[in-house]
Amino acid sequence: MKPVAFDYERPRTLAEAVRLLSTNADAKILAGGQTLGPMLNLRLVQPTLIIDITRIAELTRVEEDGEAVTLGACVTHASIEDQKIVDPSNGFLAEVAHGIAYRAVRTRGTIGGSLAHADPAADWLSCLMALGAEVLLTGARGKRRIGVADFMRGALDTELEPDEIMDGVRIPKLSKKARAGFAKICRKSGEFADAIGAVLHDPERGVLRLVAGATQGRPIIIDPATCPIDMNFPPPLGPVRKKLEQSGLAADVYELNIHMAAIARALDKAHAQ
Amino acid sequence: MTAITLTVNGQSVNAQVTPRTHLADFLREHLLLTGTHIGCEHGICGACTVEINGEIARSCITYAVACDGAEVRTIEGFDDDDLMARLRQAFSEAHALQCGYCTPGMMIAARDLIRRKGGLTGAQIRTEMSGNLCRCTGYVGIVRAIERVMLARPTLSLPTASPRKPQLGPAPGPQPSGSTAAETKAQSATVRLKDASAGAKTGTTPRLSAGSAKKRRRIKVETGSVEASGGATRLTQAFVLEHPRVEVWRLMADAEAVARCIPGMHLDGPLVDGRAAGRMEIALGPIKASFAGEGLVVSFPNEFRQVITGAGGDRKSGSSASGEVAYRLREEVGPAGEDLTRVEVELSYSLTGPLAQFSRSNLVRDLVSRVGENFAQNLDARLSMPDGAEIAPARLGAASLMWRVAVDRIRAGVSKILGRPPS
Ligand SMILES: Cc1cc2nc3c(=O)[nH]c(=O)nc-3n(C[C@H](O)[C@H](O)[C@H](O)COP(=O)(O)OP(=O)(O)OC[C@H]3O[C@@H](n4cnc5c(N)ncnc54)[C@H](O)[C@@H]3O)c2cc1C
Ligand code: FES
Ligand code: FES
Repeated sequence: MKPVAFDYERPRTLAEAVRLLSTNADAKILAGGQTLGPMLNLRLVQPTLIIDITRIAELTRVEEDGEAVTLGACVTHASIEDQKIVDPSNGFLAEVAHGIAYRAVRTRGTIGGSLAHADPAADWLSCLMALGAEVLLTGARGKRRIGVADFMRGALDTELEPDEIMDGVRIPKLSKKARAGFAKICRKSGEFADAIGAVLHDPERGVLRLVAGATQGRPIIIDPATCPIDMNFPPPLGPVRKKLEQSGLAADVYELNIHMAAIARALDKAHAQ
Repeated sequence: MTAITLTVNGQSVNAQVTPRTHLADFLREHLLLTGTHIGCEHGICGACTVEINGEIARSCITYAVACDGAEVRTIEGFDDDDLMARLRQAFSEAHALQCGYCTPGMMIAARDLIRRKGGLTGAQIRTEMSGNLCRCTGYVGIVRAIERVMLARPTLSLPTASPRKPQLGPAPGPQPSGSTAAETKAQSATVRLKDASAGAKTGTTPRLSAGSAKKRRRIKVETGSVEASGGATRLTQAFVLEHPRVEVWRLMADAEAVARCIPGMHLDGPLVDGRAAGRMEIALGPIKASFAGEGLVVSFPNEFRQVITGAGGDRKSGSSASGEVAYRLREEVGPAGEDLTRVEVELSYSLTGPLAQFSRSNLVRDLVSRVGENFAQNLDARLSMPDGAEIAPARLGAASLMWRVAVDRIRAGVSKILGRPPS
């Protein structure tokens, strides 16, 4: 249960981290280590160099503009749970953060690490897809910005190029009347979910989005553009179920039902706000 | 060896550590603070819980080098702490320990919970404490002890919040330094100037660039059912290319060209008598493997059918894989009478060695349809290009199906997909 020997670098700037990453083929970024640590200990990952990005000041920034709040990639789940950040979501992010793993994991696990790892059952993926957030990437070729929904290509697979680092997450501000709900079904609290439902209804901004997460691959996004529902809240469940069936859940009744249950619970929670 | 300086239980410590030494080993073996226990060593059980800069953390998945400059507190460091004294007494009275293995982690987590929250019900306490496992399963006593101290919370003098600046990232985080922001700006400018050359030097395989993939026509790939029997996993895929069968066959009969369309596949040299050596590179998330071996190609031109078999080993994991890809081309006619080709692929593979626990996975469909999509896209791109045009070799975390195995072992901890029992 010991990792292979590796070298360790602790850059102070993002540019230095990108340089290290792009000049070492077998390097791995270390953020909170709450996913990478177990993988290293089990020798599933055997890097020659670990680049610790937690001392880069820019990666714990919190920026606010008229439409959105940008969090540095190294902001921890616990900092969001404790509302130490500027909150664009009327408390929704804090509620989701509290449901991730356990406190001793949340104090080190980061929002950027969670998205970069792209486990289909990661809470932030479904939550941030529902909110319409974007990730900010910096690489040797410059910076780019992609919606979380497009960033994730599949299970454990993202748009991150080998020389790129996620430097932040840009989360749109919800309007005052927006309602958001999140439900996670798992056998033991703190575990990765068997099914996730995430819902955002923000009529002032013209958004109704439902997300079925913790599927085999990318979370399934349901909105009036892709499913015969309108902006009324709550949306009828019939078309939602149909959409899940068409998106690959039809083959397994248990999978379909548990994801429908998660969505129904998320809608209930959003309704109650 | 890397030199680190940190504070442990109020005392400054200088040490030389290898970067792979985790904090729990460092505390136990370098500092002989054996109150920190190690249970699972991958973040699940909570036996190794300590405080880092005032917040609880798993010391088994935190590396000692990463704690350079941090303040660490272990169970030995709570002797003079009032709240911990109350918990010690309550644990003793409520019979909250049997063998005591989980107790140091349990008490540090319980103290942190009471420090942060009051008025929780027994059920809520169980939820909050669910990151600490007791292998003696003495939860009733543990919850009772915590409830008792929590009830008395209003009368206790709770540990005051630390005067440190609030920390948003994993502790200890960036050290204050006036020049950091300026430094960042200056350096990112240089990096951008160096631009593509920096990327080119990495030696990593470029993946299909997102840009070019988007411009291309998306090809829909049907993935059939996944079957596992006799140690092999079998599945079928099909897709339609908008090119006549003769053209598609011309490309697909050229095994070297086909290999170049398979994400992660590299041939060492040209095919001799239908044989070639090469390797299949796999990247699934942070996990990488490279199966090196030999392949054989057999063509049946009359049937527009070709069968490729291969076998290879991954040195790092000590696993080997063998597999077969068989494809057959069928003629189809498009809505406007154009000639189309339906490509039917049958794929099977098996594994031995540490990865042999692999069995049918829930993930297979997702991963395989993505490999298939890339393959189809690459074929289409080659067919649509002037003769001889090269397409970038593709990198994809997909053949990685086999890695589900490995990942299975980190069950429940690291990942759920990895964590599902094979069905
Ligand atoms: C016991 C346990 C239970 C858990 N339960 C849950 C759960 O219920 N829900 C959930 O969502 N998560 C859960 N997690 C995972 C947890 O949320 C992790 O913290 C998170 O997935 C990874 O964040 P990290 O900062 O620790 O990343 P790390 O482990 O440091 O890195 C993870 C991966 O991302 C890469 N990476 C990290 N940061 C960046 C970056 N900025 N740019 C590019 N690449 C980067 C790394 O190279 C690595 O490959 C659990 C973890 C544990 C140990
Ligand atoms: S030993 Fe660290 S969590 Fe189990
Ligand atoms: S008392 Fe034995 S493990 Fe908890």
